[in-house]
Amino acid sequence: MNKTFKAFAVTIALLALIVAPACHKKVAPVVTPTVDTSMTVPPVPLTVTTATAQPVTDTADFVSPKTDTVAVDTLPGDIEELNRVAQSRGYVQDAFFEFNDSTLSAAAQTALTSSATWLKKNGQYNLLIEGHCDERGTEQYNLALGDRRANQAKEYLVTLGVDAGRIRTVSYGEERPFDPGHDESAWAKNRRDHLVLVGK
Amino acid sequence: MKPTTFLLSLTLLLAALPLAAQTQIHPELNQNQALTIARIAVPRPETTLPLETINTPFFAPLTRDLAYSGVFAIAPIPPGILSGVELIKAAGAQFLLALKIDQQGEEYIVDARLIDSTGALQSGRRYRGGAGALPRIAHTLANDLVKVVNGKPGIFMSMIGFASNRSGNFEIWLMDWDGANQRQITHHNALSILPSWSADSQRMVYTSFFRGTSDMYIISRRGGARVHVPTGLNLNTSATFSPISNDIAFVGSVAGNPDIYVVKDDGTNLRRLTHDSSIESTPEWSPNGTQISFTSGRSGSPQIYTMDADGSNVQRISFEGEWNDDATWSPDGSQLAYTSRVNGRFQIRIADLATHQSRILAGEGSNEQPTWSPDGKWIAFQSNRSGRWQIYRMRVDGNDLLQLTFDGENKDPDWSKKEAASGQQSELIRQPTTDNRQLTTDNQRTDH
Repeated sequence: MNKTFKAFAVTIALLALIVAPACHKKVAPVVTPTVDTSMTVPPVPLTVTTATAQPVTDTADFVSPKTDTVAVDTLPGDIEELNRVAQSRGYVQDAFFEFNDSTLSAAAQTALTSSATWLKKNGQYNLLIEGHCDERGTEQYNLALGDRRANQAKEYLVTLGVDAGRIRTVSYGEERPFDPGHDESAWAKNRRDHLVLVGK
Repeated sequence: MKPTTFLLSLTLLLAALPLAAQTQIHPELNQNQALTIARIAVPRPETTLPLETINTPFFAPLTRDLAYSGVFAIAPIPPGILSGVELIKAAGAQFLLALKIDQQGEEYIVDARLIDSTGALQSGRRYRGGAGALPRIAHTLANDLVKVVNGKPGIFMSMIGFASNRSGNFEIWLMDWDGANQRQITHHNALSILPSWSADSQRMVYTSFFRGTSDMYIISRRGGARVHVPTGLNLNTSATFSPISNDIAFVGSVAGNPDIYVVKDDGTNLRRLTHDSSIESTPEWSPNGTQISFTSGRSGSPQIYTMDADGSNVQRISFEGEWNDDATWSPDGSQLAYTSRVNGRFQIRIADLATHQSRILAGEGSNEQPTWSPDGKWIAFQSNRSGRWQIYRMRVDGNDLLQLTFDGENKDPDWSKKEAASGQQSELIRQPTTDNRQLTTDNQRTDH
């Protein structure tokens, strides 16, 4: 692929990103259909915040395009900021569970289907699935339950065509609640698979 | 100060000493205990050193240990200038503990004489150590005194491992049995939880997330380098040392199916003990190493089961309630303590394995993760009754509740399996001031 063509693809992709924020929580059409699926968002230079993140040294391939508008809404290079953006735009969506249950509900399957679509188009990222539980169980059993929840999501993503080698799971049980409250509203938020993008 | 005033204030001081360290000592002995409990008078040590250098590190833990020993009760010192047999009689006691503390350079020398109501010396020992060794000397002396009267040593040198987030992330910590001397063992700056003692109480195995995965590590109770126990599996939680070998039982997971596995402490000889599609968790060895208790969701809710150490002969133990976990064996192997949900809150339940009878040790809030003292007389556990997770200790009948931790949140208590060797040397006192007729007996009794 020559550089000019690549820069063109980048421009198309970045332009698409500007449109994306308008459709929160929907499956974001990140890449315009006319562009070959291999020409997606380029590897973003990742700040090394995880053990696997590799800084991209060859930046020549994606020197900022001349257009003023495209720089505004690109995917952030910082991996934590990237995850905030990916979550808020619904590129990847967490899956939620019932009490002491690891079954994927219809809503959970919808969330994972959206996530799979984006992941397949953005092969430059790997995925970490964190299994979480609410505080009402016991610590040790909940660690095992979180492991099962995370793997349920992994298996579902793989059936949707995401390469299993891109997905890693970890269970935090009830150790890291998203909502520190002690009511059903908080518990419902804490019973989840949290999808985290990580660099390759 | 007049001598009488001095002794009166001394009496008050002695009465207040155990209370000074967040202690609630039962003022009255119950009738059953009273039959077997010896009253002991413990006057202030004879010393020229300032009281404050002796009290907190030595005298307070010593009197606390004796008061909680289940063998001794502290007899208040009556007013008046009395010593020896007169003091024992006036205090209505059976024993007098005469303490003398000197300092030579940096070293403290503690002379301890246990005198009975006839004036005979039951035990005379001398302990030496720097200022930092004073709590250890106090616990060792209390152990020695209990052994003189009871034939079995006390548990005062045992320790409780736990996880605390007081320094930021949860890390592995240690404390003495009375809650004193709390010290941080791991420094991963990442979630590190669920410590479990080795059979010799020299090492702990635990789970840390500092590599982004959950892995098992072993660390000495003195800290230092941790050793990774590779298993090739996910989870690596609920690790627990065998009481008879270097095997570790733990929860491993393959493709989201948590089961009970055993691995040697160097990561070799991995064996899978359970083969169910349900969640299995929280293994714990029986004290003789022949059985393992665990939690399984195979019935639809988490319940307690036991199996032989090779995975055969599975038996369900708990039937009550919809969530039971954290089973742990009493040191004699006859009972299991576990966490049991009752009316929406978790409580400590103790089940007799022979009769299948169980009882609840009810408390406020949720109460989880029980662990037995080495002598089987106490249970430490975690409770959120204060609004945050803290570690408490109580007798197995629920009495003498004591909060042991206060800073940050604290959980996952695991009581050392046996008395850790104190390393505290002592020598017989050859020239007792009272009577040396008992020295031969004493010599036979003191095996260190």
